[in-house]
Amino acid sequence: MIGRMIAQNILRRPIRTVISVLAVAIEVGMVMLVVGLTHGMLHDSARRIGGLGADVMVQAPHASMFLGMTTAPLPIKLGDRFAQLNHVQAVTPVLFQFDSSGVSLIWGIDMESWNRVTGGFAYLRGGPFTGPYDVLVDDWYARQNHVRVGQTLHLLNHNFRVAGIVVHGKGSRLFIPLVTAEHLAEQQERASIFFIKCTNPGYTDDVIHSIKELLPNYTVLSVQEYMSLLTSNDLPALTDFITVLVAIAVMIGFLVIFLSMYTTIAERTREIGILKSLGATKGYIIELILREAGVLCLAGIIVGYAGTWAGRMLIYTTFPTVTVELTVRWAAWAALLALTGSLVGAFYPALRAAQLDPVDALAYE
Amino acid sequence: MEPLIATHDLKKVYRIGKVSVPALRGISINVQEGEFVAVVGPSGCGKSTLLHVLGGLTRPTSGKVLVDGNDLFGMSDAQRTRFRAHKIGFVFQRFNLLPTLTARDNILLAQQIGDGCNPHRFASVTAMLGIVDKLRYRPNEMSGGEQQRIAIARAIVCEPKILMADEPTGNLDSENSQIVLNMMRAVNREFRQTILMITHNPAAAAVADRIIRMRDGHVVSD
Ligand SMILES: Nc1ncnc2c1ncn2[C@@H]1O[C@H](COP(=O)(O)OP(=O)(O)O)[C@@H](O)[C@H]1O
Ligand SMILES: [Mg+2]
Repeated sequence: MIGRMIAQNILRRPIRTVISVLAVAIEVGMVMLVVGLTHGMLHDSARRIGGLGADVMVQAPHASMFLGMTTAPLPIKLGDRFAQLNHVQAVTPVLFQFDSSGVSLIWGIDMESWNRVTGGFAYLRGGPFTGPYDVLVDDWYARQNHVRVGQTLHLLNHNFRVAGIVVHGKGSRLFIPLVTAEHLAEQQERASIFFIKCTNPGYTDDVIHSIKELLPNYTVLSVQEYMSLLTSNDLPALTDFITVLVAIAVMIGFLVIFLSMYTTIAERTREIGILKSLGATKGYIIELILREAGVLCLAGIIVGYAGTWAGRMLIYTTFPTVTVELTVRWAAWAALLALTGSLVGAFYPALRAAQLDPVDALAYE
Repeated sequence: MEPLIATHDLKKVYRIGKVSVPALRGISINVQEGEFVAVVGPSGCGKSTLLHVLGGLTRPTSGKVLVDGNDLFGMSDAQRTRFRAHKIGFVFQRFNLLPTLTARDNILLAQQIGDGCNPHRFASVTAMLGIVDKLRYRPNEMSGGEQQRIAIARAIVCEPKILMADEPTGNLDSENSQIVLNMMRAVNREFRQTILMITHNPAAAAVADRIIRMRDGHVVSD
């Protein structure tokens, strides 16, 4: 019977129902997309860093885990000093440039040392840079953006000629000559990061140790360590960011359900009076209201899942190089958060309803 | 024989801000099991208040109410709620059916809330009140007389010790009033249902065994 009352209440107030369901759906979608996007981006970049073939990476002090977020570049001369260390086979500097028009991180690379560290690109079409305003793109980027060799790409407020299309998986999706990147950044002889290849991966720790002795405050990581940092589920820096967004999302669901149930109680005061005159206990009334909120929330979760899927499609068509990683684990978390928020939001209205005086409630117009 | 309802010097004073409204000024009445009692009196004399207090919906300012030997206001709120669900059925002037539920569900709801009611009672009650073919309708699809019969069915489906009715014919035309009154009489006879009924209807008084007249919060004749 409770089920039938709830069904009727939900069907008879379609606007309230739609708004409540949408709020929970937005909550669920926001949580899943935010988490999915960050995880996707991190795992993606972890894979590409891993694909470089380098063993050690050196960045400025307090460098962010997100490559390209750090602006303070290092003098390129440092590379020579790294090269002289024991067990170092090759060193290559990279200067990051953010192209805001396409949300892509462009790497300025020094082709000669790059080849020594990474083993060089595999070209699917075209070949290496022949001039300063040449760009290499990976096959993924080329496919998504229908890029052909010889075509012009407008990047960093300049026209670049596509010199070659390379197999994806080496650091970035877009590469330009280091000197050009330095010129555009007005940073002469500077690099954002050094990638170092050891004579044998077994020497990685020794090399890191030597660099730390040389430059105690710098951010020196093994590529292995960096990758596991990116793919772990509890990133300190990331958690803050996600927590804020998740909290906002949960707040939306909580407030809308609270308001929705609160106004419902006011509207249904007489009905609650009738239930109480029949001998319905406080527990019965609370259960009635909480279950109604629960049903709204479950509908919201389902719509939210559908919305997440649609949102991912939209993201993929708008930003083709972005990955959104949706996991069952986070789907469950999003649902749990939504349900908890909704029940907490409905609890005060439910308590108010349960405490109504039956005679007053029956007299309510 | 021990009365089903017993009360002595019952008082109820409403307070609205600084103003005190004495609604019951010392009521002493007993109702025996199986009796059909009508309560009459001018508007505002305290009839509804008396019904709410005897039915456990409103706490008296002073005085005790014993129903079936139980001290109604000596119980906790939760105990009294459960007691009401099992022992007291209400019928109101405004029918008070849940608008979203069908007639059947309105009656079943009372059985569900009354938890442990005899499920076979549903058939005999609805047959006796002549509402078997109305059960699938919602309140707004029924006449006032039909709604009130559903409300009576709902009130007695759990075999309460006492049925309390507050002007059950107050919103009905004379024909429907007569039908509802006849039903009340029949319920009283066939199920030996104790009934306490407030009414303005002179015909109503005629179907009752006993008439209690009230004025200004007092019983003036019994
Ligand atoms: N909830 C209330 N708050 C304040 N005064 C009330 C309340 N209910 C009833 N009264 C007052 O108590 C008196 C008796 O009311 P009531 O029991 O409803 O009388 P009746 O049912 O005989 O018309 C009236 O003066 C009424 O105004
Ligand atoms: Mg009255």
